[in-house]
Amino acid sequence: MSGKIKFFFIDCSYAAECCNKSQYEEASLLEKAKLMMHLAICKTCRKISAKNSKLTHLVKQSKIEICPEENKQQWREEIKKEFAEDRSQT
Amino acid sequence: MPANNLDPNKWVDRYSDYLFNYTIVRVNNREVANDLISETFLAALKSAKYFKGEASERTWLISILKRKIIDYYRKINSRKGRAEVKINYSDDYNEGEWLEEQVADQFDKTAEDEMENRELGLAILDCLDSINEKHAQIFKRKTIDGVDTEAICNEFNITPSNLWVIIHRARTALAACLEKNWF
Repeated sequence: MSGKIKFFFIDCSYAAECCNKSQYEEASLLEKAKLMMHLAICKTCRKISAKNSKLTHLVKQSKIEICPEENKQQWREEIKKEFAEDRSQT
Repeated sequence: MPANNLDPNKWVDRYSDYLFNYTIVRVNNREVANDLISETFLAALKSAKYFKGEASERTWLISILKRKIIDYYRKINSRKGRAEVKINYSDDYNEGEWLEEQVADQFDKTAEDEMENRELGLAILDCLDSINEKHAQIFKRKTIDGVDTEAICNEFNITPSNLWVIIHRARTALAACLEKNWF
């Protein structure tokens, strides 16, 4: 019996991992259940978990865009070329 | 020796995402944004000798980018004005109306919200700049690009548990930074 109970009780660092995974929809059902159990008894993790969800929401809301790698590559080359020319002139 | 030195080879990795989001807020067109950033980098290289090192590299690049954005609007506005006056408002009676049409719609609340969200994006990128570079990079790939765990692990040559620890550290640092700077 105690083994079964232990199975469901997890420590805070494992809870944090489950919490992060669930932010990316990558937590398994078991991990979610364990997280829920932990959140029921741990106030600190409840706070952290709420913050974590808020962060996910903010990032989504902000619509940050990462510019495409091909553009970056093009800029890198442009800069390299110009920089080399500058160096050779001076 | 100035307080800040220029390191052009790192510009793209360090600042391009920030510059891109900064520009997108203001011009709302990807291609134009790309062109403007490209021009900014080149102009910055040309005037690198005038960089005194008083401001940070990014601030300096942003100040150049601002000029480029203003120039861009000057250019399209002069074009737009000419076309519309000639085509739609040729008679005296309607003269001046085209100007009114250029004014922003006050009741367009969503545009303002959009603007605030974009500013939030810049704040997030700002915070990402201040945390560990590798962590920030992995966080961006995972959260913003939405790449799946396995692909990122291969890309950076790490194990999934490494990845989750890095994500955890990045998220904690980012949350703390945003709490300080955004709210």
